[in-house]
Amino acid sequence: MNWPDLSMGEYGFYVWGSYLFALVAIVWEVVSLRQRKKALANEARKTVTNDDRPAAVRTTVLRGSTHETTS
Amino acid sequence: MFYPVAGKMIPWFAIPAALLFAAGLYVGFFVAPTDFQQGDAYRIMFIHVPAAWMGMFLYVLMAIYAGIGWAFNARLSSMMASAIAVTGAMFTLLSLVTGAFWGKPTWGTWWVWDARMTSTLILLFLYAGFIALQAAIDDPRRADRAGAVLALVGVINVPIIYFSVQWWNTLHQGATIRILGKPSIAPPMLAAMLIMLAACWLYSVAVVLVRLRCIILEREQNAARFVEVNA
Repeated sequence: MNWPDLSMGEYGFYVWGSYLFALVAIVWEVVSLRQRKKALANEARKTVTNDDRPAAVRTTVLRGSTHETTS
Repeated sequence: MFYPVAGKMIPWFAIPAALLFAAGLYVGFFVAPTDFQQGDAYRIMFIHVPAAWMGMFLYVLMAIYAGIGWAFNARLSSMMASAIAVTGAMFTLLSLVTGAFWGKPTWGTWWVWDARMTSTLILLFLYAGFIALQAAIDDPRRADRAGAVLALVGVINVPIIYFSVQWWNTLHQGATIRILGKPSIAPPMLAAMLIMLAACWLYSVAVVLVRLRCIILEREQNAARFVEVNA
């Protein structure tokens, strides 16, 4: 195992800059997907709360089955 | 049917992706030696090359799904194309930015209008066009059809990117790894690159499945709202 020099010779800015950008891009994608998922879950919960269908059907919708509205 | 299955599949891709990213970075930074010509700057390729490959591969995959969705009116296939687009654009942007970070110390410039770089920038614009086009059209079926046309026309750019270094005199170096033939880099460097490629691939599957589930829910909610409004 070779311990890398953290300054990467004279290229530290370029190497770490690249990996930092990659990390930011991946974190942005994951976080934005989680937020999108959360917003959708909230929306579904609101819809189900205002729903007058039987409880068993509502539970199915909340669990993520999409049979209900598939045309 | 697909929705719960996709949900169960996500951890099977996400967890190995995280482990392979860690392994790839370990091999890339601790095992692979310093390059005698480029010094440590070459370590950028462990993220740059997999990102560039994923950008091209995901575009072809997106075009195939969009084409199938258009030809056979397969909604899930069109939704898959939409789910792939953002991740493909992210990897293409990543390859351009990391390429600029590599270009500055090795070529002395962040950017040149070289055939490889210009065609990769066009790929990013194609992804952006696909995403914007789908967002601009309210009717999902019309949006899918319009997106499919753009995706299928744009797929011609992928072989142009791949062969640009052979067809034109470019500043960008030629292929280091060939499908047929021996790679021209040291085994630990190759190992790090392939592990990172596998990690990027698994990561892509995981995030595309999460996004696909979101798209399915959004379309179902929109359809339900449409029915309520028009009832």
